[in-house]
Amino acid sequence: MTQKNIRNFCIIAHIDHGKSTLADRILEYTGTLTQREMADQVLDSMDLEKERGITIKLQAVRLTYEAHNGEKYTLNLIDTPGHVDFSYEVSRSLAACEGALLVIDASQGIEAQTLANLYLALDHDLEIIPVINKIDLPNADPERVKYELEDSIGIPAEEAVLVSARTGEGIGEMLEAIVNRIPAPKGDSQAPTRAMIFDSHYDQYRGAVAYARVIDGNIKVGDMIKMMSTGRTFEVNELGVFRPALVAVNNLGPGDVGCVMASMKDVRDTRVGDTITNASRPTTEALEGYRPAKPMVYCGLYPVINEDYVALRDALDKLQLNDAALTYEAESSAALGFGYRCGFLGLLHLEIIQERLEREFDLDIITTAPSVVYQVVLTDEEVIEIDNPSDLPAVTNIEHIKEPYVHATIMVPDEFVGAVMDVCQDRRGVFSNMEYITPERAKIDYEMPLAEILMDFFDRLKSRTKGYASLDYELIGYRESKVVKLDILLNGNPVDALSCIVHQDKALSRGRSLAEKLKEVIPRQQFEVPIQAAIGNKIIARETVRALRKDVLAKCYGGDISRKRKLLEKQKEGKKRMKSLGNVEVPQEAFMAILEVE
Amino acid sequence: MGIYVHIPFCEKKCYYCDFHSVVVGDLTHFAKVTDDYLISVRKEALYYKKQWGNKSLSTLFIGGGTPTSLPPQKLASLIRFILHEFPFAENPEVTIEANPHTIHLNDAKILASAGVNRVSIGAQSFQNNLLQSMGRLHRSDQIEKSVLRFKEAGIDNVNLDLMFGLPEQTINDWKDTLMSALSLKPTHLSCYGLILEPGTPFAIWEAKGILRFPTDDDQAEMFEIAREVLVKSGYEHYEISNFCKPRFEARHNLLYWMNMPFIGLGSGATGYLNRRRYTNIAKISEYIKGWMNDCPIYERESLISEKQEMDETMMVGMRLLQGVSEIDFMERYGMSFFEVYPLEIEGLLNKGLVELVNGKLRVTKQGLYLENMVSGAFLP
Repeated sequence: MTQKNIRNFCIIAHIDHGKSTLADRILEYTGTLTQREMADQVLDSMDLEKERGITIKLQAVRLTYEAHNGEKYTLNLIDTPGHVDFSYEVSRSLAACEGALLVIDASQGIEAQTLANLYLALDHDLEIIPVINKIDLPNADPERVKYELEDSIGIPAEEAVLVSARTGEGIGEMLEAIVNRIPAPKGDSQAPTRAMIFDSHYDQYRGAVAYARVIDGNIKVGDMIKMMSTGRTFEVNELGVFRPALVAVNNLGPGDVGCVMASMKDVRDTRVGDTITNASRPTTEALEGYRPAKPMVYCGLYPVINEDYVALRDALDKLQLNDAALTYEAESSAALGFGYRCGFLGLLHLEIIQERLEREFDLDIITTAPSVVYQVVLTDEEVIEIDNPSDLPAVTNIEHIKEPYVHATIMVPDEFVGAVMDVCQDRRGVFSNMEYITPERAKIDYEMPLAEILMDFFDRLKSRTKGYASLDYELIGYRESKVVKLDILLNGNPVDALSCIVHQDKALSRGRSLAEKLKEVIPRQQFEVPIQAAIGNKIIARETVRALRKDVLAKCYGGDISRKRKLLEKQKEGKKRMKSLGNVEVPQEAFMAILEVE
Repeated sequence: MGIYVHIPFCEKKCYYCDFHSVVVGDLTHFAKVTDDYLISVRKEALYYKKQWGNKSLSTLFIGGGTPTSLPPQKLASLIRFILHEFPFAENPEVTIEANPHTIHLNDAKILASAGVNRVSIGAQSFQNNLLQSMGRLHRSDQIEKSVLRFKEAGIDNVNLDLMFGLPEQTINDWKDTLMSALSLKPTHLSCYGLILEPGTPFAIWEAKGILRFPTDDDQAEMFEIAREVLVKSGYEHYEISNFCKPRFEARHNLLYWMNMPFIGLGSGATGYLNRRRYTNIAKISEYIKGWMNDCPIYERESLISEKQEMDETMMVGMRLLQGVSEIDFMERYGMSFFEVYPLEIEGLLNKGLVELVNGKLRVTKQGLYLENMVSGAFLP
């Protein structure tokens, strides 16, 4: 296939706007899959991830399409992740394309996330084809969506393609638009090789697999390749494309999208955004835009049972093979013993990892309060970065503290504007802008501390707006902030794992609700347990778990002995899942409490 | 060593009860079923007689259910049979459980003549409204009458079962019940805090919010009151829920708390013989069917290792206020409990839940209220 007949594109869509169904329909229409094979949505399907004993992530599918002009085209459909935690990955996927389908639900209209990705796409100079989907639904209003497109994004209404991914209506027109409107890839096949990694994946038999878009030159089986960011070299054992099954190829040239397998140990060798070049004839200039994956949120992960410490490390090791953004290092807590300080892209990423540790590795995990990275300016003007409240220096050594801020974009129907502003204001947001995309739909911009976004901000936003609000945010830098360390004392002893850094205006209410919540989850024990919240030496809230007065079985006769034994053994089992802090038995939920309180 | 016989029949099921029993009125051929049942118990007795050998027995306990829901002659005949077949020592303790409304003077005399010398009466409360709300069939004045009838028949070793933590029960209700019970001068009193057993009407009504029950803290307070009142009146608090006049401990129940072997007869009954604990099938028809074919049917059965028995000896022994004697334990197992449970005992001592007095490890006052913590420490 000549370079001029290649089209690389992705689909930008809000969750539920029909991206997967649309992708399926394209596969079906181009004969890549027959209807019988289309048992389920292919791009989301896990069943198809097994091929020749290896697991595959369907990240880019190669389709062949015969256009109305009689020519055959290779269409590469590149998938993009759909969550704000993964915006850098999204940007790399976009950089691998020349065009994008902007899918908008005909009844829902444009959402913040869609818009955010659209702006990213425009930043990459992608040709945008607006696709108004679900036109078969009774409440579809394509005219309103066209109006939104023209008014808010400046895309002429007539450029929109109307489709129904469900019925297949309009798919033909859409494919013609892809061929006719998206430019062919540029690139020089004679130039030194440059290919951009836009995703990667770890396979237990082949090591790390890089998903790459070749810009210049070629990659051939047997080539020695070099990763520009690390300088490490590997020999290519296999190249492949997905149709959607993995098909081996010998060469990837300019404009091609495929996967590169070269016995790479883990995904740190295949960093997203990195440039692959030829080791014997390397390029001097890497492609722009490489950014090492940088965690935004940190928390401690501890095994409930101390003996699971090694198992936890092994599990993190395995997860890290496939997750370049996950970082971890050993730490210890006076309260929880030995564990790991882990870094994540965001809370969703954290939750995914936590869930995988529990489900796939059968580990019981305690998570300490997530923290952003603070910059602490010391009195001697030295600046240190901390992500763990325990590492905060003594107050007397601190000149001031800076915390990360984000630019948040929220879109809602206009009736909820007040509610959104309430929530943002409450979260220390600084209003920056508001505009109406349509008379009924507003886009509100706030500058907010990242830490506030992390604490169930989106959930709060959704509940206050009946689920209509959509959110996107990006980091804009550090600002000085009056934050303090809030400590929790159980029975008079500070529990490091329950400390957190909060803004001083919120410390009092946070301390109170945390103490109240802990009172609910800590079971009554032999002694009264005072729970205190403190800033420095100042106690700001106090609750008491009253002593357990009675824990005894009234009857224990001959027939009750086995029963009593079972009951006590069950009680004991429950106790094993608790952490013993001094004299106080603290259940796992207590450490979760810190995530749940307002 | 002793024998327990379970009589699984009742005139009515109380709202808190999760024991296995059938309501007499629900049986179509009551006489036939009870006769078959009593025959089965005899067969079972003979079956265990062989295993038991000629070790001496000292107690017999007829419990239920409501044993006195059967005709007294039939009970008397069963009691005579057991006393005759097994090698009982002199002056065995023979206890029967009775409900106040089922007792007539003549019945009491028949039982006494068969050898019954102790009676345990399910008084529960002296408040008629509470008795009614728990589904009891008697009224408070019948308690006194039944005590007097047993005494007249010559059975003056009388226990009264009392309950606290009943729905809507006040502290004053409880004090009144204690005082009323004391006025009958029983030799023994059992004071049980109500346990809401899953599936019972009480548990269901509590869950639905139909009935309000005293909290655990209220129960603790009522328990405390019982201790004060009864000890002041000359009763010894010798087991968590049991009080007696000096030397009137329930000898049969002491066997359980000392974790001694015993034979259990009847449907749903548990026995502990040769380090094997068995519980008979609870369903009466199945139980009878088994013995028609001369073989036991068990609900469950387990072999108890020596270590397990040690654990259980501590678990049940710590219910006794006198505690577990180090010498007795050593004689039984060849080593001290300090060797078997060094860390566990140290922990309990440090927490102030147990103390060592005159060679006996026993609960402190706090350990008494938190006995599950004490017992639990001896389990793996």
